[in-house]
Amino acid sequence: MEKSLFDKYGGFSTVSKIVLTLYDRLLEDDDVGPFFDDVDLSRLIDHQTKFVSSLMGGPASFSDDHIERAHRGMQIEDHQFDRLKEIVAEVLTDFDVEGPDIATIVGAFEARRNILIEKPDVN
Amino acid sequence: MSIEAINEQLLRAIGVGVALVDLENLSFPFRNDTFNEWFGEPDPSTKLSDLFPDLDAQTLRADMHSGGRMTTEASFKLRRRTMTVALEFNLAQNASENIAVLVCQNITRIKELESMIDSYSMMVERNTHEIKREKEQVEKLLLNMMPRAAYEEYKTFGVVSPRLFDPVSVLALDFIGFDEQLAQHEPGVIVSELNDIYSAFDRIGAQFSCQRIRTNGDSYVAVSGVPDPNQDHAMAVANSCVRFLRYLVRRNESHPIQWTARIGVASGSVIGSVVGSQNYIYDVFGPTVGAALHHRSIADDMTIATDTAFADSVTEKFGAEASKDGTHVLMRDLAENA
Repeated sequence: MEKSLFDKYGGFSTVSKIVLTLYDRLLEDDDVGPFFDDVDLSRLIDHQTKFVSSLMGGPASFSDDHIERAHRGMQIEDHQFDRLKEIVAEVLTDFDVEGPDIATIVGAFEARRNILIEKPDVN
Repeated sequence: MSIEAINEQLLRAIGVGVALVDLENLSFPFRNDTFNEWFGEPDPSTKLSDLFPDLDAQTLRADMHSGGRMTTEASFKLRRRTMTVALEFNLAQNASENIAVLVCQNITRIKELESMIDSYSMMVERNTHEIKREKEQVEKLLLNMMPRAAYEEYKTFGVVSPRLFDPVSVLALDFIGFDEQLAQHEPGVIVSELNDIYSAFDRIGAQFSCQRIRTNGDSYVAVSGVPDPNQDHAMAVANSCVRFLRYLVRRNESHPIQWTARIGVASGSVIGSVVGSQNYIYDVFGPTVGAALHHRSIADDMTIATDTAFADSVTEKFGAEASKDGTHVLMRDLAENA
């Protein structure tokens, strides 16, 4: 059986560092940071741990439905989603994740663009 | 520079928030840089309760009075980050003033890590639960394919070594006109019917220690004496097949699709083993199985065919009569005709 990226990069011990770094960068960033202004710490950490583990094929089943519910009403725009993607890629690069693996992870993220970004009501 | 000045410089420089608290009016006569970084620039009117609304001043004063020390935690927002600090109040040694030294350790990272570990352990727990459930499903499936004893052997050693079981009895059943039934009905209907009938056979067999080994289309093969020896194997098989036929007769009375079976039985030895390394299945084979299949092939509709040896072993309950061509005997339930 092929090893998941989660296992390949050292399991939770690495993922925990990635999550904390991602958390720091997201909070510092002026484009995406404001989304977290009123979010409870444990909820945010929980979300990001599951999010990163899930993107890397770890022990988290993060259904699209769950993601949609967690972000409902947030009014995320495309440029903010792009910035988020950039930050994820930067953090992964800092942790020596290989290029093709970053592309896989960011690709999995990109695949959820539609459920994270609410479409304007056309009716 | 005086010692006091040096002390103040030191207190300002460390990465721990330090402040002096006037216990009379709860103001801050001194705050170091780190403390200000977290709680904003000093303002003489700022009180302890402004920075730590959850802190009870009465408790603080009481603790200072009784033991001179109090510890607690406080969370606050610094920009977007929820910061958590461990607070330690110590009554100053100088008895002339009612002052407490407040030391704040930044434990935000620890809190974040705790949250992460909580989250992760919940994920792992859920995963473990799912793996356990899947394992149980696999076990259930394997137990459908092989007897428990063979499964236990397979689980422990990764193989099931072939064993000779002797003596045992084998029952082989099939349906007359099965191909015609297939042509007349939808595949789903046939599967549902077979499922229904085979499940009933399994239940009947279980009552008499007779276990189904395999089905292949309309061929149903069961055995008694594998893998646990059974002294009454012939009687177990004879009882099972008589009840199989009775069940079918009753079922045909109330079901639109009519099933006519024939059964062959034989006693002797069989080899039991898991066959195949990819699509493994527990099977029994040997001349006794061949004999049962042969008897089945010459049995009449809704009858049980066997040889004299088998019939002799169950004479106390089952009678036998020679077939028309004299090659085998047909068994009947003595109680039924009584």
